[in-house]
Amino acid sequence: MPAATSAIANILIGGIFHAAVLFLVAAGLQLVFGVQKIVNLACGSFYALGAYFGITLVNFGLGAGLPDWTLLPLLVLAGLLMAVVGPPIERLLRAVYDRDESFQLLLTFALVLMFQDIFRLVWGANPRSLNNVHLVYGKWTVGDFSVPVYNLLVISAALLAAFLIGLFLKHTTFGRLLRATAENRAMAEALGVNVRAVYAAVFTLGTLLGTLGGALVVPTAAASLDMAVEFVIEAFAVVVIGGLGSMPGALAGAGLVGLIRACALVLYPEFEILAIYLIVIVVLLLRPSGLFGKPAT
Amino acid sequence: MKQGSALLLVAIAAGALALVPILAPPFYANLLVPFYGYAIALLGFNLLFGYTGLLSFGHALFLGLGAYTAAVLAGLWGIKEFEVVLLAAALVGLLLALPLGWLAVRYRGIFFGMLTLAYGMLAHAVLFKFYHLTGGDSGMRVPRMHLLGLEFAAYNKIELLAGPFYYYCLTLCALAALLMWRIVRSPFGLHLRSLRDNAQKAEYLGVRAHQFRLAAFAISGIYGAVGGTILGFRTGLADPELVYWTHSGHLVFMTVLGGFSSLLGPVIGALALTLLQDQLQSLTQYWRLVLGAILALVVIFLPRGLAGLAFDVGRLHGRRSASSTANTTETA
Amino acid sequence: MTHQPTSNASPRAEAPKAAPPRPIVRARSPLIETRSVCKNYGAFRALEDVSIAVREGEFVSIVGPNGAGKTTLVNLLTGLLVPTKGEVYFKGRNIAGVCPVTLATQGMARTFQLVQIFPELTVAETIATAVITRQGKRWRLLSPLPQDAQIATRVAEIAGMFGLSSRLATLSRLLSQGEKKLLDVASAFALDPQLILLDEPTSGVSTAEKHAVMTTLVGAARAAGVQAIILVEHDMDLVAAYSHRIIALSEGRVLADLPPEEFFADPVIIETVVGKRRGVSC
Repeated sequence: MPAATSAIANILIGGIFHAAVLFLVAAGLQLVFGVQKIVNLACGSFYALGAYFGITLVNFGLGAGLPDWTLLPLLVLAGLLMAVVGPPIERLLRAVYDRDESFQLLLTFALVLMFQDIFRLVWGANPRSLNNVHLVYGKWTVGDFSVPVYNLLVISAALLAAFLIGLFLKHTTFGRLLRATAENRAMAEALGVNVRAVYAAVFTLGTLLGTLGGALVVPTAAASLDMAVEFVIEAFAVVVIGGLGSMPGALAGAGLVGLIRACALVLYPEFEILAIYLIVIVVLLLRPSGLFGKPAT
Repeated sequence: MKQGSALLLVAIAAGALALVPILAPPFYANLLVPFYGYAIALLGFNLLFGYTGLLSFGHALFLGLGAYTAAVLAGLWGIKEFEVVLLAAALVGLLLALPLGWLAVRYRGIFFGMLTLAYGMLAHAVLFKFYHLTGGDSGMRVPRMHLLGLEFAAYNKIELLAGPFYYYCLTLCALAALLMWRIVRSPFGLHLRSLRDNAQKAEYLGVRAHQFRLAAFAISGIYGAVGGTILGFRTGLADPELVYWTHSGHLVFMTVLGGFSSLLGPVIGALALTLLQDQLQSLTQYWRLVLGAILALVVIFLPRGLAGLAFDVGRLHGRRSASSTANTTETA
Repeated sequence: MTHQPTSNASPRAEAPKAAPPRPIVRARSPLIETRSVCKNYGAFRALEDVSIAVREGEFVSIVGPNGAGKTTLVNLLTGLLVPTKGEVYFKGRNIAGVCPVTLATQGMARTFQLVQIFPELTVAETIATAVITRQGKRWRLLSPLPQDAQIATRVAEIAGMFGLSSRLATLSRLLSQGEKKLLDVASAFALDPQLILLDEPTSGVSTAEKHAVMTTLVGAARAAGVQAIILVEHDMDLVAAYSHRIIALSEGRVLADLPPEEFFADPVIIETVVGKRRGVSC
């Protein structure tokens, strides 16, 4: 494979990997917004939580003598474990469900502030990372182009998650209950749906997707205090482009943002972030409902 | 709380603030200078939020605009007259608010919030990336400026900030508040409030929604830029972190803490948060945790903020002492 | 099967109920009229070939069973909808698709079935919103509203017409349902419109209060100088008592366009519109 092509392929795979992680967190955002109509500014904090705890768990596990290949299972476990913060936070948010959406935004912003210091307290102010442990899975090489198998595993995991979520929403009873509550909460309640339980479950699932995304990204990126506040913006870009509350939108939006970043890295490395915000503004102005969302009233 | 007693309270507070440089060490006056900057910016922000019902999560953009205007005018071009810089900042704030607002006020609720969030972060990215123009993350220097033509060369920076500049800002803030008071009590102000309460009905009563929301956005931009100039002067620096989205979040925090249903609520919030943050920072390095918890508590239990609390206490007191009660609105 | 009044009728000598005298209809163009309007929603034909006109001094009621097209017609009359075919003229101007603000300044006001208020504004402020529009003071950013005598006087006048004088300082969300309705209509009147459309103004009001509300409305209209009223109503007693003319819609077409005594004399019309013979309580 010629050098230029492999360079492009490298960047593309990087973009797709980034998109995979973005999708997971964005899917969590979409679920919560779609069903509960809450915009969760703390999604970046869940992402960071998964990342930090992932590092801790992996260091602990490998330090205790577990073989290197347990990296991925340990990270997944870390993501799953950190989802425990979901239910108590949902309980807190219940206080503002019926209030103006500004209050909901503010409460999640309060969480962002609190999480920042929790990270500082538990993990310190310096960024943390894993030292390329993920290379234990080897690399897939074609000529000049090589990509860590780990990255491919994560991409597959994200696609699998997308598929499973779609299956879950369309073909399971609970999935249908979810969609019913999203459409019309009062009606669902009148029909006997335990909306409270649905909300708690949805929020926890959304949290889980966030912490999982953070845990999976950690071998290739450092966990830092900035992570939480910076990621929010990208996640929002995905959600805006894809359409608020839409799952296919999360996939499309994540793919697009990952692709834009990849292209920008090749063409105008300076402007990678700028390009994303510009696209967000353009989408909000031309088609506020995004690619797959319902039209804004 | 009758208007008479409210005015009295305001007068007392203003008097107390005026005495700070005289009675307290310069540290406190220095601490309160940015409060004035935030107070002015928030008066404008709340016209948009409390009175027109639009929550912007990118308002810190205008703070940065004011600071960078000061840096360019005073730092690069050597125009040291603060009054000129203030006017320029106001103008730049207006010029930027008009196109941004024209696009943004077509939307409400979460879409407006996200669009303004994107505006703020786009500005951050621009300020960061174009470092040969803006100094990147080192920012741009904002030198000392002349107040009312006076250089105050004998004063060092701290003395200047805690002395003449303090009173300058206090006066500026008072004037800004007075102007905003006139605006919210005007026919224009009533039309804004009607838009907030029921936009559809308002339109049927002849309220031009888009025009008026744009006007509110523009005014908030002017106030924001003026506030930012004060911040820039005080820190001596204009840097991209001024426009980061969490800074906008802090503006909203101050507004909700103080209470967005009244004119001076956000000002109270700015004062409270400035003092609170300072106290917390000296007590623990985990002050963000405490602040976050306070914000959560305010949002859940005190949605009308400190001003709302004061109003309720005042009304309770009034009910006990007066024989008649009239249901009056607290919104100025 | 539409019937039109063919000549200027003289005022009736004696009426069994308190019916309004016939308006003296001068030969001038109508205040508002529709010319063969049709409105389709996709394949569904909501309105078909509807031509009505309302002249100054008239009180016209639009009646018909649910789904007959009353709301669509009202929305066309107020410019909210654009007709698929035909035109709607108000004071000689085509108003298809015109925005509510333009309507308000051109002399037309409407109320909605669901009462609309400004929760955090007082009664006085609600009425003042419209008065500000009327007096062209919307861009006054710096003049204090409480000190504007012109506005205050007019607000007091309007509130007086609707019996809301004692509630001027009350927050709208604290009013009773009936008071909210009155305020809703009062604020529309404050625009000094020449034409006002009332969409089921007494819905949700108890039967006992309905007549009181209507008497207040009509009296206020006369006092405020409103030139024509269009009423959409289900309650046939109210319709009979106040209308100069009744327009009945059925399945998108105009079934009848008659003065009350002719309207109620036709059993076929009554059956289609009311569903029962007249005299049986609904």
